[in-house]
Amino acid sequence: MDGRTILILCEKPDAAARLAKALNEAGKVRERKLKGVPYYEASRDGNKLIVISALGHLYTIAPKIEDRDVYPVFDFYWAPRYEVERNSGQTRKWIEAISRLSKDAQEYVLATDYDIEGATIGYTVLKYACGGKDTEAKRMKFSTLTADELRKSYEKMLPHIEFSTAEAGMCRHLVDAIYGINLSRAMTTAAKRWSGKYTTISTGRVQGPTLKFLVEREKEINTFVPTPYWTVKALIEIGGSTYEAEYEKKSIGILEEANSIVHACAGKIGTITKIDVRKTRQNPPTPFDLSSLQTEAYGLFRYTPRRTSNIAERLYLEALISYPRTSSQKLPPAIGYRGILEALSRQPAYKDLTSDLLERGDLVPNEGPKRDPAHPAIYPTGNLPERTLSDPERRLWDLIVRRFMAVFGEPAVRQSVKVAIEIDGHRFYLRGRQILKEGWMRFYKPYVRFEDVLLPQLEEGDEVRVKRVIREDKFTKPPPRYNPSSLLKKMEKEGIGTKATRADIIETLYSRGYISGESIAVSYLGFDVVEILDGYCPQIISVEFTRDLEEKMEMIQSGSEKMERVVGKAVEYLKPVLEELKNREREIGKALSESIRKARMEERTVGQCPVCGTGKLVILRSRRTKKRFIGCTNFFEGICKTSFPLPQKGSLKPLRKDCKLCGWPLIQVRSRGRRPWNLCFNPECPSKERSKRS
Amino acid sequence: MKCEICGRRAESRFCELHKRAQENLREKYEEWKRAMDITWEEYLREVLKNPLTGLWVKEVARILLASSEEKEAPSMQEKV
Ligand SMILES: [Zn+2]
Ligand SMILES: [Zn+2]
Ligand SMILES: [Zn+2]
Repeated sequence: MDGRTILILCEKPDAAARLAKALNEAGKVRERKLKGVPYYEASRDGNKLIVISALGHLYTIAPKIEDRDVYPVFDFYWAPRYEVERNSGQTRKWIEAISRLSKDAQEYVLATDYDIEGATIGYTVLKYACGGKDTEAKRMKFSTLTADELRKSYEKMLPHIEFSTAEAGMCRHLVDAIYGINLSRAMTTAAKRWSGKYTTISTGRVQGPTLKFLVEREKEINTFVPTPYWTVKALIEIGGSTYEAEYEKKSIGILEEANSIVHACAGKIGTITKIDVRKTRQNPPTPFDLSSLQTEAYGLFRYTPRRTSNIAERLYLEALISYPRTSSQKLPPAIGYRGILEALSRQPAYKDLTSDLLERGDLVPNEGPKRDPAHPAIYPTGNLPERTLSDPERRLWDLIVRRFMAVFGEPAVRQSVKVAIEIDGHRFYLRGRQILKEGWMRFYKPYVRFEDVLLPQLEEGDEVRVKRVIREDKFTKPPPRYNPSSLLKKMEKEGIGTKATRADIIETLYSRGYISGESIAVSYLGFDVVEILDGYCPQIISVEFTRDLEEKMEMIQSGSEKMERVVGKAVEYLKPVLEELKNREREIGKALSESIRKARMEERTVGQCPVCGTGKLVILRSRRTKKRFIGCTNFFEGICKTSFPLPQKGSLKPLRKDCKLCGWPLIQVRSRGRRPWNLCFNPECPSKERSKRS
Repeated sequence: MKCEICGRRAESRFCELHKRAQENLREKYEEWKRAMDITWEEYLREVLKNPLTGLWVKEVARILLASSEEKEAPSMQEKV
């Protein structure tokens, strides 16, 4: 036998195992280890297959000058991650193992994820670890890890890897590094030269503009003044039940006016003057792309975008769903709708639903407008779980399965009823709504948020008794804070970042301490970093600039732009900015140091002093007794001596929320082995009274 | 000059951010007056206890209230 040895490179170990099993023809797949790195030996067509995986990225872009005080730096190279990154020692074994095994191979096949990161990982490993095999390697393209699709993809291999996609990916890494490293170094050095203390201050090409959205929102919220308005409701009695009718004006801006309506209508008889019945068709939802899946999972289960994307990745690696990092809302017939539904019908919960769809002649998905050249929308493969899924995995899988079925459903029909009631010259509306025909909602039921509001049988001319008329006091509300999900949507809408990077950028903002909370609040430091960038180099955090670069990088992928040109332009743009930052280093350093100092103070600030009203309460430590306590900043001015004792164990964090019982600010206490609990330190708080008595 | 409230650089009493809060506070008083019978001091107290009011607005309102109480300003018209 003159079999050849073929090296197949996957992205993740789980994918390698699945691929080896799917392609193997004779005997059993042999799981082996080299330097502790797992790989698989299989055979097919008389050839020996060696299937090994990378570990995500094995190489990274690094500056040639390592000294963190030096900037600008524009010379970068691709380095093994273990050489330049902390906590990446694992990558050394991996690179060495792949290197060794590649020497025995005569053919090379790339089988990483078919997208920008997958292409970049593949290209760098083939080029640097396998000794320049990027030019001769072939490419497997697939969207699911089902045995069937993997075999087909092996039979119909592409003649070479996707160079322009890898180029686009490498360009993104390079440009992001040039911006991130230079700007971060500029700010960190400025702060260090001024204060003598070292604090890493990071910003990035996409991170900056994203933080700016949050800062803008924070400004709107912090300068918001609520204004009063009123609504009026009439409680109407019909056939022994009470219904709420709303006044025709949804908001009344003058108190006097609201009062006079209440006065005029109370105790009167109303007449039904008009009944408006409207039927609307509601089309099925479109198939999930990654961002609509993230939005839905956040709305239903409160999973952050990154969490959803991690769970989806696991489901993909178990061959339960198709590749999730897609921006497509299309489901091409080639995926085999019927086959998938038939396979899903083996799951009792889906049996009735799938057979309902299978009985129909034509299956046409309600596709959305978004496309992706590499992958279809997210769909279930039809495989059933091989193990017991965790709760979040099961929920997300169920959501994806039901969405897939719903996409083929018929439109739902809903009816809304609006009844006009005249009361003493004033008009009120009674509203009802109801689903007349379920359509697609039948498939998506647990995830449809709709409540029927039924009205009794009524006719125009009917008279009804007005039981009570109520005025409600309301205030205008500030715009809502962003949450991880709405921020991700904002980034997508503004065209910054990519589907693969957005969720991570948001997580970075959290880990840098720039933002906190699920309802996102910007910290002092985050605020000032944006203010400083905005003051000294607004072009760097402008959305237009970031978006423009994003588009250029997409053009590289489609072959209409070159990496050298894009990188050249980006550097040209950055150079004068860095010069300006250097010239004004003292000013910037001063502002940043001040901000870092305030940020530290902010972490310890509990809230306004309820005693003197002008000072702030902060967590302090006594020099004499070394004990923690809460004191007022006005103490140092000799104005206020307020202080409160604190528990000495555990870590303390101001909650930025007031006690429901007394309105004083709360502190969260975390100690080992205990659930975090909220402390109200007001000795007069009613909560204390209660616990004293009991 | 430094902002009386936060110590940021300021051209007058308050920095850019607190100035914006102060401007909003003045502007919205007109709407409050149209909506109901209310004096400047009552307005400031209402705004201070409202949980929807922005943080910087509260900081400004607290100072304005303290100073107008000190002077016992006879009419809010002069203050605005
Ligand atoms: Zn005090
Ligand atoms: Zn309390
Ligand atoms: Zn200020």
